[in-house]
Amino acid sequence: MNYRKEYEARVARKVMLNADTAYLTLECPDIAANARPGQFVNISCSYFLKRPFGIASVDRAAGTFSVGIKIVGKGTADLAGIAEGAVLNVLGPLGNGFDLDGFDSYILVSGGTGVFPINFAYEELAASSKTVTVVQGFRDSSQIVMNRPEYVLTTDAGDAGIHGNCCNGLDSLEDIADNTAVLCVGPLPMMKAVGSWAQSRGLKCFVSMEQRMACGIGICLVCVCKVKSEQEGVPFDHVRCCKDGPVFPYEEVVW
Amino acid sequence: MVSSKLNVKVGSVELKSPLILASGTCNFGHELSEYYDLSILGGLSSKGLTIKPRAGNPGVRVAETDCGMLNSVGLQNPGVDYFIANDLDYMDSLGTGRIINVAGHSFEDYIAMVSKLDPYSDKIDALEINLSCPNVKAGCMSIGSDSSQVKEIVSILRSMTKLPLWIKLTPNVTDIKSVALAAQEGGADAVVLINTLLGMKIDIRTRRPVLHNNTGGYSGPAVKPVAIRMVSECNSVLDIPIVGCGGIMSAEDVIEFMIAGSSAVEIGTGNLVHPTLPVKITEDLEKYCEDNQLELSSLTGTLQLW
Repeated sequence: MNYRKEYEARVARKVMLNADTAYLTLECPDIAANARPGQFVNISCSYFLKRPFGIASVDRAAGTFSVGIKIVGKGTADLAGIAEGAVLNVLGPLGNGFDLDGFDSYILVSGGTGVFPINFAYEELAASSKTVTVVQGFRDSSQIVMNRPEYVLTTDAGDAGIHGNCCNGLDSLEDIADNTAVLCVGPLPMMKAVGSWAQSRGLKCFVSMEQRMACGIGICLVCVCKVKSEQEGVPFDHVRCCKDGPVFPYEEVVW
Repeated sequence: MVSSKLNVKVGSVELKSPLILASGTCNFGHELSEYYDLSILGGLSSKGLTIKPRAGNPGVRVAETDCGMLNSVGLQNPGVDYFIANDLDYMDSLGTGRIINVAGHSFEDYIAMVSKLDPYSDKIDALEINLSCPNVKAGCMSIGSDSSQVKEIVSILRSMTKLPLWIKLTPNVTDIKSVALAAQEGGADAVVLINTLLGMKIDIRTRRPVLHNNTGGYSGPAVKPVAIRMVSECNSVLDIPIVGCGGIMSAEDVIEFMIAGSSAVEIGTGNLVHPTLPVKITEDLEKYCEDNQLELSSLTGTLQLW
């Protein structure tokens, strides 16, 4: 039996993308080999619980993977302040990830820290025969990270790219092919709006749900989200973001 | 294969190791089986089960604290019928002690639960009667914090089953000894000490509790001294064995619980931080027994108070 492990992963590289966002590249050949876009890792910090981060990229040849860390509290500040060469306790890859095989064409939509898992999905799709388009939304130009020239960029402030949100960016897309899926990672209101946009155009949409997490492996049941129940008379089921998700079809989520 | 030096007994229940995975931190074993062979454990205590399925509490269910965490899951579980049909055989197949955690909102619930589970006594080593969950509105902790109710419900359940009854008690009481004694007088085979401490964390920006349930159960290394004190106090008055629980993160913690009076221990929140923690603790306990040429069970209750 090949058991899953906790890894001691060395920080090979750290870059600050902006004042409050770090990008860490960690050495862990197993995670690099097995990770799929949409999956995450759980990383120990100097506080009690591990912190979950969507995998932003893998380099299978080098045996490394990367995560983006936005500082939102003490744990993320601690991790963003880590030095190259430090060793971190890591669990992963965790969660179900995106289906990157079932469709001919993909529209990837990111907001906030969603840029990181969306980057990984983009890298995989760009290396395949699939058609891929990316729409990024940021508050203003100071927040822009993980951008590429071929992306559709939107900012709420209008100081870069299209003035507006991701849905305004999506509206700018022309000639959307049949059998296109929308993959969206970002704040809840954004994912709801993007899912609604996709549904109105007959496109399948998958969202990556986020909730405060403890174990990351499905044993504690704290990170649940509501999905529609298959049982009659039951309004919803609580499912685990970490183990049953984080990726769910938009239409299955109770918003 | 675990060293025989780790073998312990909780009353009539023989366990190959004192380490039991605490209810609510291992589900029914499926997920942690991806990380190690659970047959190295003394036992696994199922997710707390209720008569009907429970969706659990809405909103934010976890808040990190210094050296621990608060949870307000609210006994989310698939219900006892689903468990019997889908998970009991799996738990039975794991090669470890099969402890079934039984929760309820009323005496009737506990009675109905034991009636449902008793016919499967060949697949169950002990029923852990949860009189201590702080995250539901009725039953559990409100029964478990009243000695007379504890004695009454335990004696009713005692008359219904020959299965060992382990009573999991709440620390949210003034005098844990009197509650533990009530469990013993009712006919309990063991007490499990402690469930979580009732706590609260406030978001100072919103001036609201972080947990949507307002309060939650506090667990992790921060609660260990409270648990050790309660095990020690109860050990001084009880004739039945104690299963210690609260903040165990290392072999040293296990040894401390056993010296205080525990025959076995439960690892809870530690599983959430390091899923393979029990593997490391098992190795360290084996080394401790070798280095000190002793059987681990010989430690139980060897505390010498000043």
